[in-house]
Amino acid sequence: MSETPPFLERHQFLIYRLFSLAGLVPVGAFLAVHLLTNASVLGGAASFQSRVDLIHSLGPLLVPVEVAFIFLPIMFHAAVGFVIIANGMPNVGSYPYVGNVRYALQRATGMVAFAFIVWHIIQLHWLGAPLGGGQFDPHYATSTAAVALQPTWVTILYAIGILAAVFHFANGLWTLGITWGIWTSPAAMRRANVISIVVGVGLAAAGLGALGGMRAVDVEQARAVETWMHEQLERQQPPTAEPAPVAAARKED
Amino acid sequence: MIRAIDGDALRTGDGRSRQAAPLVRVRILRQDVAGGESYWERFEVPHEPNMNVISLLQKIAAAARTQDGRRVAPVAWDCSCLEEVCGSCTMLINGRTRMACSALVDKLLEENGGEVELRPMSKFPVVRDLVVDRRRLFRSLERVQAWVPVDDSYDHGPGPRISPEQQQDAYPLSECISCGCCLEACPQFTKIEPVLRDGESDADFEARRRQAFDAAFLGAHAISQAMLFNSHPTGGMIADERMESLTGRGGIQICGNAQNCVAVCPKRIPLTRSIARAGRAATVWAIKKLFDR
Ligand code: SF4
Ligand code: SF4
Ligand code: FES
Repeated sequence: MSETPPFLERHQFLIYRLFSLAGLVPVGAFLAVHLLTNASVLGGAASFQSRVDLIHSLGPLLVPVEVAFIFLPIMFHAAVGFVIIANGMPNVGSYPYVGNVRYALQRATGMVAFAFIVWHIIQLHWLGAPLGGGQFDPHYATSTAAVALQPTWVTILYAIGILAAVFHFANGLWTLGITWGIWTSPAAMRRANVISIVVGVGLAAAGLGALGGMRAVDVEQARAVETWMHEQLERQQPPTAEPAPVAAARKED
Repeated sequence: MIRAIDGDALRTGDGRSRQAAPLVRVRILRQDVAGGESYWERFEVPHEPNMNVISLLQKIAAAARTQDGRRVAPVAWDCSCLEEVCGSCTMLINGRTRMACSALVDKLLEENGGEVELRPMSKFPVVRDLVVDRRRLFRSLERVQAWVPVDDSYDHGPGPRISPEQQQDAYPLSECISCGCCLEACPQFTKIEPVLRDGESDADFEARRRQAFDAAFLGAHAISQAMLFNSHPTGGMIADERMESLTGRGGIQICGNAQNCVAVCPKRIPLTRSIARAGRAATVWAIKKLFDR
Protein backbone atom coordinates (compact mmCIF):
# COMPACT_ATOMS: atom_id res chain seq x y z
CA MET A 1 0.00 0.00 0.00
CA SER A 2 2.78 2.41 0.82
CA GLU A 3 4.37 3.46 -2.45
CA THR A 4 8.07 4.13 -2.73
CA PRO A 5 8.63 7.81 -2.16
CA PRO A 6 10.04 9.90 -5.03
CA PHE A 7 13.82 9.99 -5.54
CA LEU A 8 14.26 13.43 -4.00
CA GLU A 9 12.47 12.37 -0.84
CA ARG A 10 14.26 9.05 -0.54
CA HIS A 11 17.59 10.88 -0.60
CA GLN A 12 16.40 13.94 1.25
CA PHE A 13 19.01 13.71 4.01
CA LEU A 14 21.90 13.35 1.57
CA ILE A 15 20.64 16.15 -0.66
CA TYR A 16 20.17 18.56 2.24
CA ARG A 17 23.61 17.75 3.60
CA LEU A 18 25.20 18.25 0.17
CA PHE A 19 23.28 21.52 -0.06
CA SER A 20 24.72 22.60 3.28
CA LEU A 21 28.24 21.53 2.30
CA ALA A 22 28.03 23.23 -1.09
CA GLY A 23 27.21 26.48 0.68
CA LEU A 24 30.59 26.30 2.41
CA VAL A 25 32.71 24.69 -0.29
CA PRO A 26 32.89 25.57 -3.03
CA VAL A 27 30.32 28.40 -3.04
CA GLY A 28 31.22 30.12 0.25
CA ALA A 29 34.92 29.62 -0.26
CA PHE A 30 34.59 31.11 -3.73
CA LEU A 31 32.74 34.11 -2.32
CA ALA A 32 35.56 34.75 0.15
CA VAL A 33 38.30 34.40 -2.47
CA HIS A 34 36.34 36.51 -4.93
CA LEU A 35 35.81 39.39 -2.51
CA LEU A 36 39.40 39.30 -1.26
CA THR A 37 40.72 39.24 -4.83
CA ASN A 38 38.58 42.23 -5.69
CA ALA A 39 39.74 44.05 -2.60
CA SER A 40 43.26 43.87 -4.01
CA VAL A 41 42.25 46.79 -6.22
CA LEU A 42 42.88 48.88 -3.13
CA GLY A 43 46.56 48.12 -3.78
CA GLY A 44 46.38 49.62 -7.24
CA ALA A 45 45.42 48.58 -10.77
CA ALA A 46 48.49 46.40 -11.27
CA SER A 47 47.86 44.44 -8.10
CA PHE A 48 44.31 43.56 -9.19
CA GLN A 49 45.37 42.91 -12.80
CA SER A 50 48.10 40.46 -11.77
CA ARG A 51 45.57 38.49 -9.71
CA VAL A 52 43.13 38.36 -12.60
CA ASP A 53 46.01 37.25 -14.87
CA LEU A 54 46.79 34.48 -12.40
CA ILE A 55 43.20 33.20 -12.60
CA HIS A 56 43.19 33.49 -16.37
CA SER A 57 46.49 31.62 -16.64
CA LEU A 58 44.26 28.51 -16.46
CA GLY A 59 43.62 29.28 -20.14
CA PRO A 60 41.21 26.81 -21.78
CA LEU A 61 40.65 25.11 -18.41
CA LEU A 62 39.12 28.23 -16.90
CA VAL A 63 35.60 27.77 -18.23
CA PRO A 64 35.27 24.06 -17.27
CA VAL A 65 36.65 24.88 -13.81
CA GLU A 66 34.21 27.76 -13.42
CA VAL A 67 31.29 25.60 -14.50
CA ALA A 68 32.21 22.63 -12.31
CA PHE A 69 33.27 24.45 -9.17
CA ILE A 70 31.23 27.63 -9.24
CA PHE A 71 28.28 27.58 -11.61
CA LEU A 72 26.88 24.09 -10.95
CA PRO A 73 27.32 24.22 -7.16
CA ILE A 74 25.61 27.63 -7.00
CA MET A 75 22.75 26.34 -9.14
CA PHE A 76 22.40 23.23 -6.96
CA HIS A 77 22.51 25.28 -3.76
CA ALA A 78 19.97 27.73 -5.15
CA ALA A 79 17.61 25.04 -6.46
CA VAL A 80 17.49 23.19 -3.13
CA GLY A 81 17.32 26.54 -1.37
CA PHE A 82 14.18 27.53 -3.24
CA VAL A 83 12.57 24.20 -2.32
CA ILE A 84 13.42 24.87 1.33
CA ILE A 85 12.03 28.39 1.17
CA ALA A 86 8.83 27.13 -0.46
CA ASN A 87 8.31 24.57 2.32
CA GLY A 88 8.89 26.89 5.27
CA MET A 89 6.49 29.32 6.89
CA PRO A 90 8.36 32.27 8.44
CA ASN A 91 6.56 33.56 11.54
CA VAL A 92 8.69 36.44 12.77
CA GLY A 93 5.55 38.46 13.50
CA SER A 94 4.39 36.04 16.20
CA TYR A 95 7.82 34.97 17.46
CA PRO A 96 10.24 37.89 17.07
CA TYR A 97 13.27 36.09 18.51
CA VAL A 98 16.79 36.69 17.24
CA GLY A 99 17.15 33.15 15.91
CA ASN A 100 13.86 33.43 14.08
CA VAL A 101 14.77 36.79 12.53
CA ARG A 102 18.02 35.24 11.34
CA TYR A 103 16.07 32.30 9.91
CA ALA A 104 13.90 34.71 7.90
CA LEU A 105 16.87 36.86 6.87
CA GLN A 106 18.78 33.78 5.74
CA ARG A 107 15.99 33.06 3.28
CA ALA A 108 15.55 36.67 2.17
CA THR A 109 19.29 37.24 1.65
CA GLY A 110 19.55 33.96 -0.23
CA MET A 111 16.97 35.15 -2.74
CA VAL A 112 18.49 38.65 -2.99
CA ALA A 113 21.99 37.24 -3.45
CA PHE A 114 20.79 34.82 -6.12
CA ALA A 115 19.02 37.55 -8.10
CA PHE A 116 22.11 39.74 -7.74
CA ILE A 117 24.48 37.02 -8.94
CA VAL A 118 22.36 36.38 -12.05
CA TRP A 119 22.35 40.09 -12.93
CA HIS A 120 26.03 40.52 -12.02
CA ILE A 121 27.10 37.73 -14.37
CA ILE A 122 24.88 38.74 -17.27
CA GLN A 123 25.94 42.37 -16.95
CA LEU A 124 29.70 41.79 -16.73
CA HIS A 125 29.94 38.85 -19.09
CA TRP A 126 27.59 39.59 -21.90
CA LEU A 127 25.30 42.54 -21.93
CA GLY A 128 27.36 45.32 -20.45
CA ALA A 129 25.93 48.81 -20.73
CA PRO A 130 22.27 47.89 -21.43
CA LEU A 131 22.12 46.32 -17.96
CA GLY A 132 24.04 49.17 -16.39
CA GLY A 133 27.74 49.94 -16.29
CA GLY A 134 29.62 47.91 -18.87
CA GLN A 135 31.26 44.61 -19.71
CA PHE A 136 34.29 43.20 -17.96
CA ASP A 137 37.45 42.44 -19.91
CA PRO A 138 40.01 40.35 -18.05
CA HIS A 139 42.84 42.00 -20.02
CA TYR A 140 41.77 45.38 -18.76
CA ALA A 141 40.46 44.17 -15.42
CA THR A 142 40.61 47.31 -13.32
CA SER A 143 39.60 49.84 -15.94
CA THR A 144 36.64 47.86 -17.28
CA ALA A 145 35.42 46.93 -13.80
CA ALA A 146 35.73 50.57 -12.76
CA VAL A 147 33.66 51.70 -15.75
CA ALA A 148 31.05 49.02 -15.09
CA LEU A 149 30.62 50.18 -11.50
CA GLN A 150 30.51 53.94 -12.09
CA PRO A 151 26.73 54.58 -12.18
CA THR A 152 25.48 55.25 -8.67
CA TRP A 153 22.53 52.89 -8.94
CA VAL A 154 24.87 50.10 -10.01
CA THR A 155 27.06 50.77 -6.99
CA ILE A 156 24.02 50.69 -4.69
CA LEU A 157 22.79 47.39 -6.14
CA TYR A 158 26.28 45.93 -5.76
CA ALA A 159 26.45 47.03 -2.15
CA ILE A 160 23.08 45.36 -1.47
CA GLY A 161 24.12 42.21 -3.33
CA ILE A 162 27.46 41.96 -1.56
CA LEU A 163 25.96 42.49 1.90
CA ALA A 164 23.20 39.95 1.22
CA ALA A 165 25.69 37.33 0.04
CA VAL A 166 28.02 37.97 2.98
CA PHE A 167 25.22 37.78 5.56
CA HIS A 168 23.94 34.59 3.94
CA PHE A 169 27.41 33.05 4.08
CA ALA A 170 28.32 34.13 7.61
CA ASN A 171 24.95 33.16 9.09
CA GLY A 172 25.01 29.97 7.05
CA LEU A 173 28.37 29.14 8.54
CA TRP A 174 26.83 29.26 11.99
CA THR A 175 23.81 27.10 11.10
CA LEU A 176 26.05 24.70 9.20
CA GLY A 177 27.93 24.04 12.42
CA ILE A 178 24.65 23.11 14.12
CA THR A 179 23.46 21.04 11.19
CA TRP A 180 26.62 18.94 11.11
CA GLY A 181 26.88 18.85 14.88
CA ILE A 182 30.14 20.77 15.14
CA TRP A 183 28.87 23.06 17.89
CA THR A 184 26.20 21.47 20.04
CA SER A 185 26.00 23.22 23.41
CA PRO A 186 24.47 26.69 23.76
CA ALA A 187 27.86 28.03 24.94
CA ALA A 188 29.65 26.57 21.92
CA MET A 189 26.96 28.04 19.67
CA ARG A 190 27.57 31.46 21.20
CA ARG A 191 31.32 31.19 20.61
CA ALA A 192 30.73 30.02 17.05
CA ASN A 193 28.42 32.97 16.60
CA VAL A 194 31.29 35.34 17.41
CA ILE A 195 33.42 33.62 14.77
CA SER A 196 30.62 33.98 12.20
CA ILE A 197 30.25 37.66 13.01
CA VAL A 198 34.00 38.24 12.60
CA VAL A 199 33.98 36.39 9.26
CA GLY A 200 30.92 38.33 8.15
CA VAL A 201 32.23 41.74 9.14
CA GLY A 202 35.61 40.97 7.56
CA LEU A 203 34.11 39.86 4.27
CA ALA A 204 31.68 42.76 4.22
CA ALA A 205 34.63 45.12 4.67
CA ALA A 206 36.54 43.40 1.87
CA GLY A 207 33.52 43.49 -0.44
CA LEU A 208 32.58 47.09 0.20
CA GLY A 209 36.27 48.06 0.14
CA ALA A 210 36.59 46.49 -3.30
CA LEU A 211 33.51 48.34 -4.46
CA GLY A 212 34.80 51.68 -3.17
CA GLY A 213 38.25 50.91 -4.57
CA MET A 214 36.83 50.24 -8.04
CA ARG A 215 34.89 53.48 -8.00
CA ALA A 216 37.98 55.44 -6.95
CA VAL A 217 40.04 54.13 -9.86
CA ASP A 218 41.29 56.65 -12.46
CA VAL A 219 40.22 54.75 -15.58
CA GLU A 220 42.75 56.36 -17.95
CA GLN A 221 45.72 55.66 -15.75
CA ALA A 222 44.53 52.12 -14.93
CA ARG A 223 44.31 51.42 -18.64
CA ALA A 224 47.85 52.73 -19.10
CA VAL A 225 49.08 50.36 -16.39
CA GLU A 226 47.25 47.42 -17.93
CA THR A 227 48.63 48.14 -21.39
CA TRP A 228 52.14 48.45 -19.98
CA MET A 229 51.76 45.13 -18.15
CA HIS A 230 50.66 43.38 -21.32
CA GLU A 231 53.61 44.78 -23.25
CA GLN A 232 55.92 43.44 -20.56
CA LEU A 233 54.26 40.02 -20.83
CA GLU A 234 54.56 39.99 -24.58
CA ARG A 235 58.28 40.61 -24.26
CA GLN A 236 58.32 37.46 -22.09
CA GLN A 237 59.54 39.57 -19.25
CA PRO A 238 57.06 39.53 -16.44
CA PRO A 239 57.43 42.81 -14.58
CA THR A 240 59.61 42.34 -11.54
CA ALA A 241 59.21 45.75 -10.04
CA GLU A 242 56.01 47.73 -9.70
CA PRO A 243 55.72 49.94 -12.78
CA ALA A 244 55.93 53.64 -12.26
CA PRO A 245 52.36 54.74 -13.08
CA VAL A 246 50.85 52.39 -10.50
CA ALA A 247 50.93 54.72 -7.57
CA ALA A 248 49.16 57.36 -9.62
CA ALA A 249 46.58 54.94 -10.98
CA ARG A 250 44.17 55.78 -8.23
CA LYS A 251 42.57 59.12 -7.75
CA GLU A 252 44.00 61.18 -4.96
CA ASP A 253 41.92 60.45 -1.91
CA MET B 1 -7.56 48.86 34.21
CA ILE B 2 -7.29 45.88 36.50
CA ARG B 3 -5.43 47.99 39.04
CA ALA B 4 -8.72 49.81 39.56
CA ILE B 5 -10.26 46.74 41.25
CA ASP B 6 -11.31 47.32 44.76
CA GLY B 7 -9.85 44.13 46.17
CA ASP B 8 -11.12 44.72 49.71
CA ALA B 9 -14.62 45.33 48.50
CA LEU B 10 -14.49 42.02 46.65
CA ARG B 11 -13.45 40.19 49.76
CA THR B 12 -16.29 41.65 51.82
CA GLY B 13 -18.62 39.82 49.47
CA ASP B 14 -21.32 42.48 49.50
CA GLY B 15 -23.42 42.55 46.38
CA ARG B 16 -22.77 46.11 45.29
CA SER B 17 -18.98 45.78 45.21
CA ARG B 18 -19.25 42.52 43.36
CA GLN B 19 -21.06 44.17 40.53
CA ALA B 20 -18.25 46.66 40.36
CA ALA B 21 -15.73 43.88 39.64
CA PRO B 22 -14.06 44.78 36.35
CA LEU B 23 -14.71 42.56 33.38
CA VAL B 24 -12.01 40.73 31.50
CA ARG B 25 -12.51 40.98 27.74
CA VAL B 26 -11.80 37.75 25.84
CA ARG B 27 -11.74 37.19 22.10
CA ILE B 28 -11.92 33.57 20.97
CA LEU B 29 -11.49 32.09 17.50
CA ARG B 30 -14.20 29.44 17.32
CA GLN B 31 -14.97 26.62 14.92
CA ASP B 32 -17.99 24.33 15.15
CA VAL B 33 -16.75 21.28 13.28
CA ALA B 34 -13.51 19.90 11.88
CA GLY B 35 -12.81 21.53 8.53
CA GLY B 36 -15.54 24.13 9.10
CA GLU B 37 -15.34 27.93 9.00
CA SER B 38 -13.80 29.70 11.93
CA TYR B 39 -15.22 32.89 13.41
CA TRP B 40 -14.46 35.27 16.29
CA GLU B 41 -16.62 35.71 19.34
CA ARG B 42 -16.19 38.11 22.25
CA PHE B 43 -16.89 37.31 25.87
CA GLU B 44 -16.71 39.17 29.14
CA VAL B 45 -15.86 37.55 32.43
CA PRO B 46 -15.77 39.10 35.91
CA HIS B 47 -12.17 39.43 36.98
CA GLU B 48 -10.84 37.38 39.87
CA PRO B 49 -7.37 37.58 41.37
CA ASN B 50 -4.88 34.95 40.09
CA MET B 51 -7.14 33.72 37.31
CA ASN B 52 -5.57 31.57 34.64
CA VAL B 53 -6.86 30.88 31.15
CA ILE B 54 -8.54 27.62 32.20
CA SER B 55 -10.55 29.33 34.95
CA LEU B 56 -11.41 32.02 32.44
CA LEU B 57 -12.67 29.37 30.02
CA GLN B 58 -14.65 27.64 32.75
CA LYS B 59 -16.54 30.87 33.42
CA ILE B 60 -17.12 31.43 29.72
CA ALA B 61 -18.50 27.90 29.36
CA ALA B 62 -20.72 28.29 32.41
CA ALA B 63 -22.27 31.53 31.16
CA ALA B 64 -22.32 30.49 27.49
CA ARG B 65 -23.22 34.04 26.50
CA THR B 66 -21.28 36.40 24.28
CA GLN B 67 -20.43 39.95 25.24
CA ASP B 68 -23.64 41.20 23.62
CA GLY B 69 -25.74 38.67 25.53
CA ARG B 70 -26.32 36.11 22.76
CA ARG B 71 -26.67 32.50 24.00
CA VAL B 72 -24.06 30.32 22.30
CA ALA B 73 -22.73 26.79 22.63
CA PRO B 74 -20.08 26.66 25.39
CA VAL B 75 -16.53 27.06 24.12
CA ALA B 76 -14.68 23.70 24.00
CA TRP B 77 -11.06 23.23 25.08
CA ASP B 78 -8.70 20.50 26.29
CA CYS B 79 -7.07 20.28 29.69
CA SER B 80 -6.38 17.76 32.38
CA CYS B 81 -3.62 18.19 34.94
CA LEU B 82 -3.86 21.97 35.47
CA GLU B 83 -0.20 22.04 36.46
CA GLU B 84 1.72 21.96 33.20
CA VAL B 85 2.51 18.25 33.13
CA CYS B 86 -0.10 16.65 30.85
CA GLY B 87 0.55 18.89 27.86
CA SER B 88 -3.05 18.91 26.67
CA CYS B 89 -4.02 22.58 27.08
CA THR B 90 -1.74 24.16 24.47
CA MET B 91 -3.32 27.07 22.58
CA LEU B 92 -2.36 30.38 21.01
CA ILE B 93 -2.76 32.87 23.79
CA ASN B 94 -2.29 36.46 22.65
CA GLY B 95 -0.80 35.03 19.48
CA ARG B 96 1.87 32.96 21.19
CA THR B 97 1.79 29.23 21.82
CA ARG B 98 1.66 28.32 25.51
CA MET B 99 -0.10 26.30 28.17
CA ALA B 100 -3.51 27.65 29.19
CA CYS B 101 -3.23 26.25 32.71
CA SER B 102 -0.11 28.23 33.55
CA ALA B 103 -1.02 31.43 31.67
CA LEU B 104 -2.07 34.03 34.22
CA VAL B 105 -4.78 36.41 33.10
CA ASP B 106 -3.35 39.52 34.78
CA LYS B 107 -0.09 39.14 32.90
CA LEU B 108 -1.93 38.51 29.65
CA LEU B 109 -3.98 41.66 30.07
CA GLU B 110 -0.86 43.73 30.59
CA GLU B 111 0.72 42.13 27.54
CA ASN B 112 -2.20 42.67 25.19
CA GLY B 113 -3.75 46.03 26.08
CA GLY B 114 -6.49 44.76 28.39
CA GLU B 115 -7.80 41.88 26.28
CA VAL B 116 -7.09 38.16 26.15
CA GLU B 117 -7.05 36.54 22.72
CA LEU B 118 -7.43 32.76 22.37
CA ARG B 119 -6.94 30.74 19.20
CA PRO B 120 -6.51 27.01 18.58
CA MET B 121 -3.03 25.83 17.58
CA SER B 122 -2.46 26.54 13.89
CA LYS B 123 -0.31 23.52 13.00
CA PHE B 124 -2.86 20.87 13.90
CA PRO B 125 -6.38 20.29 12.54
CA VAL B 126 -9.09 21.86 14.70
CA VAL B 127 -11.61 19.41 16.14
CA ARG B 128 -13.77 22.07 17.72
CA ASP B 129 -13.08 25.58 19.05
CA LEU B 130 -9.78 25.32 20.94
CA VAL B 131 -9.53 21.53 20.72
CA VAL B 132 -7.06 20.24 18.11
CA ASP B 133 -6.08 16.82 16.82
CA ARG B 134 -2.45 16.25 17.78
CA ARG B 135 -2.13 12.73 16.39
CA ARG B 136 0.85 13.76 14.27
CA LEU B 137 2.82 14.73 17.38
CA PHE B 138 2.41 11.21 18.78
CA ARG B 139 3.04 9.61 15.41
CA SER B 140 6.43 11.38 15.38
CA LEU B 141 7.26 9.79 18.72
CA GLU B 142 6.36 6.41 17.23
CA ARG B 143 8.53 7.08 14.21
CA VAL B 144 11.61 7.51 16.41
CA GLN B 145 10.55 4.78 18.88
CA ALA B 146 10.66 7.16 21.79
CA TRP B 147 10.71 4.43 24.42
CA VAL B 148 12.94 1.78 25.95
CA PRO B 149 12.00 -1.45 24.18
CA VAL B 150 11.04 -4.10 26.70
CA ASP B 151 8.80 -6.50 24.88
CA ASP B 152 8.89 -9.68 26.92
CA SER B 153 8.21 -10.71 30.47
CA TYR B 154 11.50 -12.48 31.22
CA ASP B 155 13.67 -11.26 34.04
CA HIS B 156 16.82 -10.02 32.37
CA GLY B 157 18.40 -8.98 35.61
CA PRO B 158 19.28 -5.42 36.52
CA GLY B 159 20.04 -3.07 33.66
CA PRO B 160 23.34 -1.25 33.21
CA ARG B 161 24.08 1.52 35.67
CA ILE B 162 23.71 5.15 34.66
CA SER B 163 26.26 7.62 35.97
CA PRO B 164 25.03 10.73 37.78
CA GLU B 165 26.48 12.83 34.93
CA GLN B 166 24.51 10.91 32.33
CA GLN B 167 21.43 11.18 34.48
CA GLN B 168 21.86 14.96 34.83
CA ASP B 169 22.21 15.27 31.10
CA ALA B 170 19.18 13.15 30.33
CA TYR B 171 16.77 14.38 32.98
CA PRO B 172 15.83 17.68 31.35
CA LEU B 173 14.95 15.86 28.12
CA SER B 174 12.69 13.48 30.01
CA GLU B 175 10.56 16.41 31.13
CA CYS B 176 8.89 16.77 27.73
CA ILE B 177 5.10 16.90 28.15
CA SER B 178 4.22 16.44 24.45
CA CYS B 179 2.46 19.78 24.42
CA GLY B 180 3.49 20.63 20.86
CA CYS B 181 4.54 24.23 21.58
CA CYS B 182 7.85 23.54 19.84
CA LEU B 183 5.98 22.37 16.74
CA GLU B 184 3.52 25.24 16.74
CA ALA B 185 6.31 27.83 16.75
CA CYS B 186 8.57 26.02 14.27
CA PRO B 187 8.58 27.67 10.84
CA GLN B 188 9.60 24.33 9.31
CA PHE B 189 6.67 22.40 10.79
CA THR B 190 3.60 23.02 8.66
CA LYS B 191 0.03 21.84 9.08
CA ILE B 192 -1.19 18.56 7.58
CA GLU B 193 -4.96 18.22 7.40
CA PRO B 194 -6.09 15.46 5.06
CA VAL B 195 -9.75 15.55 4.05
CA LEU B 196 -11.86 12.40 3.61
CA ARG B 197 -12.42 11.75 -0.09
CA ASP B 198 -15.74 10.68 -1.59
CA GLY B 199 -16.14 6.94 -1.16
CA GLU B 200 -12.87 6.51 0.75
CA SER B 201 -12.99 3.90 3.50
CA ASP B 202 -11.90 4.81 7.01
CA ALA B 203 -8.96 2.44 6.73
CA ASP B 204 -7.78 4.00 3.47
CA PHE B 205 -8.17 7.48 4.91
CA GLU B 206 -6.18 6.50 7.97
CA ALA B 207 -3.44 4.97 5.79
CA ARG B 208 -3.25 8.13 3.70
CA ARG B 209 -3.01 10.27 6.82
CA ARG B 210 -0.24 8.04 8.16
CA GLN B 211 1.65 8.35 4.89
CA ALA B 212 1.39 12.13 4.93
CA PHE B 213 2.63 12.24 8.53
CA ASP B 214 5.54 9.93 7.82
CA ALA B 215 6.80 12.02 4.91
CA ALA B 216 6.72 15.25 6.92
CA PHE B 217 9.02 16.83 9.49
CA LEU B 218 9.33 14.97 12.80
CA GLY B 219 9.59 18.10 14.91
CA ALA B 220 11.91 19.16 17.70
CA HIS B 221 10.20 17.12 20.43
CA ALA B 222 10.74 13.81 18.62
CA ILE B 223 14.35 14.63 17.73
CA SER B 224 15.01 15.41 21.38
CA GLN B 225 13.29 12.22 22.56
CA ALA B 226 15.29 10.17 20.07
CA MET B 227 18.48 11.61 21.57
CA LEU B 228 17.19 10.90 25.09
CA PHE B 229 16.53 7.22 24.37
CA ASN B 230 19.69 6.79 22.32
CA SER B 231 21.69 7.98 25.30
CA HIS B 232 20.01 5.44 27.57
CA PRO B 233 21.99 2.19 27.88
CA THR B 234 19.01 -0.06 27.24
CA GLY B 235 17.13 2.33 24.98
CA GLY B 236 20.33 2.76 22.96
CA MET B 237 20.14 -0.86 21.85
CA ILE B 238 17.95 0.29 18.97
CA ALA B 239 19.92 3.50 18.42
CA ASP B 240 20.54 2.57 14.78
CA GLU B 241 16.82 2.26 14.09
CA ARG B 242 16.29 5.72 15.55
CA MET B 243 19.12 7.10 13.40
CA GLU B 244 17.40 5.58 10.36
CA SER B 245 14.26 7.58 11.21
CA LEU B 246 16.17 10.74 12.06
CA THR B 247 17.94 10.69 8.70
CA GLY B 248 14.89 9.46 6.78
CA ARG B 249 12.25 11.55 5.06
CA GLY B 250 11.16 14.50 7.18
CA GLY B 251 14.07 13.90 9.51
CA ILE B 252 16.61 16.14 11.17
CA GLN B 253 17.61 17.72 7.84
CA ILE B 254 14.35 19.66 7.68
CA CYS B 255 15.24 21.74 10.74
CA GLY B 256 16.15 25.26 9.65
CA ASN B 257 17.80 26.31 12.93
CA ALA B 258 15.32 29.05 13.70
CA GLN B 259 15.52 28.00 17.36
CA ASN B 260 11.94 29.02 18.10
CA CYS B 261 11.33 25.60 19.59
CA VAL B 262 13.71 26.16 22.46
CA ALA B 263 12.36 29.66 23.04
CA VAL B 264 8.74 28.53 23.50
CA CYS B 265 9.16 25.16 25.25
CA PRO B 266 7.31 25.48 28.58
CA LYS B 267 9.65 22.91 30.15
CA ARG B 268 12.76 24.75 28.94
CA ILE B 269 14.11 21.61 27.33
CA PRO B 270 17.48 22.24 25.63
CA LEU B 271 16.03 21.39 22.23
CA THR B 272 18.69 23.04 20.10
CA ARG B 273 21.36 21.09 21.95
CA SER B 274 19.45 17.89 21.18
CA ILE B 275 19.08 18.95 17.55
CA ALA B 276 22.79 19.70 17.19
CA ARG B 277 23.65 16.40 18.89
CA ALA B 278 21.30 14.63 16.52
CA GLY B 279 23.05 16.44 13.67
CA ARG B 280 26.41 15.21 14.91
CA ALA B 281 25.11 11.66 15.37
CA ALA B 282 23.63 11.82 11.86
CA THR B 283 26.97 12.95 10.43
CA VAL B 284 28.77 10.02 12.08
CA TRP B 285 25.96 7.65 11.14
CA ALA B 286 26.02 8.67 7.48
CA ILE B 287 29.80 8.23 7.26
CA LYS B 288 29.57 4.86 8.99
CA LYS B 289 26.86 3.72 6.63
CA LEU B 290 28.92 4.79 3.65
CA PHE B 291 31.98 2.80 4.70
CA ASP B 292 30.40 -0.15 6.51
CA ARG B 293 28.14 -1.43 3.80
S1 SF4 C 1 15.46 24.92 15.45
FE1 SF4 C 1 14.57 23.51 13.97
S2 SF4 C 1 12.99 22.43 15.06
FE2 SF4 C 1 13.49 24.26 16.26
S3 SF4 C 1 12.03 25.79 15.58
FE3 SF4 C 1 13.84 25.97 14.36
S4 SF4 C 1 13.48 24.80 12.53
FE4 SF4 C 1 12.01 24.16 14.06
S1 SF4 D 1 9.85 19.65 23.71
FE1 SF4 D 1 8.95 21.21 25.01
S2 SF4 D 1 7.58 22.32 23.66
FE2 SF4 D 1 8.07 20.43 22.63
S3 SF4 D 1 6.45 19.00 23.16
FE3 SF4 D 1 8.08 18.72 24.66
S4 SF4 D 1 7.60 20.07 26.34
FE4 SF4 D 1 6.36 20.72 24.62
S1 FES E 1 -3.76 21.14 31.74
FE1 FES E 1 -2.06 19.79 31.73
S2 FES E 1 -0.54 21.05 30.88
FE2 FES E 1 -2.17 22.44 31.07
